Amino acid sequence: MSATMSGKQNMKFLYAGIAIALMISVLAPFLASSDPDGLESAAFGVIDEAKMAAMEELAPVFESPMPDYAIEGMGKTGEVMAIVIGTLIVLAIGFGLGKVMKK
Amino acid sequence: MHIPDSFMPLTQALVYWVIALPFIFLSVRWARKELDDTKVPILAALAAGIFAIQALNIPIGMGTSGHMVGAALVAIIFGSPMAGVLVLTLVLLVQGFVFADGGITVMGANILNMGVISGFVGYYAFVALRKNKLSISVSSFIGAWLGLFVSALATAVEMYIAGTFPLVAGLTMMGLYHLIIGFVGEGLITAIVITAIGKSRPDLLENSFLNPDQMGVIA
Repeated sequence: MSATMSGKQNMKFLYAGIAIALMISVLAPFLASSDPDGLESAAFGVIDEAKMAAMEELAPVFESPMPDYAIEGMGKTGEVMAIVIGTLIVLAIGFGLGKVMKK
Repeated sequence: MHIPDSFMPLTQALVYWVIALPFIFLSVRWARKELDDTKVPILAALAAGIFAIQALNIPIGMGTSGHMVGAALVAIIFGSPMAGVLVLTLVLLVQGFVFADGGITVMGANILNMGVISGFVGYYAFVALRKNKLSISVSSFIGAWLGLFVSALATAVEMYIAGTFPLVAGLTMMGLYHLIIGFVGEGLITAIVITAIGKSRPDLLENSFLNPDQMGVIA
């Protein structure tokens, strides 16, 4: 496959990737399980409640603008927006950084 | 498997940064050597897709859920675990700073576990299985699954050293949950994506295993 040919094909891959990523971003707040993940679940199983509560009380090192993939007071719409924004940020940085770093 | 800051003392968190940084450096060097204009869109698409799918927690029973990590997938597509380190570092940076998913001081540990360990184990298990003539889909399934499982065990050991988890109970629970998460969230999705790419864009996978000279070589 020639370079220009695979270049065009790769742009198609990018568009398909963006479409799939955005589709997942929009659906995730509705489909994702709210159960704790493996690490949290293990923590609840092995750490006693008092210690766990004390750990959760600790102030975060950094104030994130959209903690837990949500925008305060915006419910599911906010969650969709948060994940879509995150996907676009990663996409932009991935593309930009890739362009800067490439040979 | 994103460790929050409260789960690890600062001094230990810094040690994992020291271990993770050389890999991050090597991943940037990989990009300088291997990335060209035609490959950047693939990298960007994978990074965006992995960020999105990490927001999709799959229920695994026992009141627990889990999501894909994706380092093995990226490593297999680019034919180097360094690509997985690069993409996961980017994803973890955005998750930590913008969404408070995974800590800031412990980000080095999270990069080590999800970017380095799951990617390296996943990729080299995949390569070993391919060399033993297993199919692409089976090799990517087992590789990705194993990568996630081993990185969960590593996380459990780090949690033990941090004084947060007891050793045996921590290993047992982390192992059990991620055995299942790895099966569905990591193995299955990786195998489906790799198989789909193998059918639609076999040229993209050339570095990984179609070219025997480059098999298992860190580019």
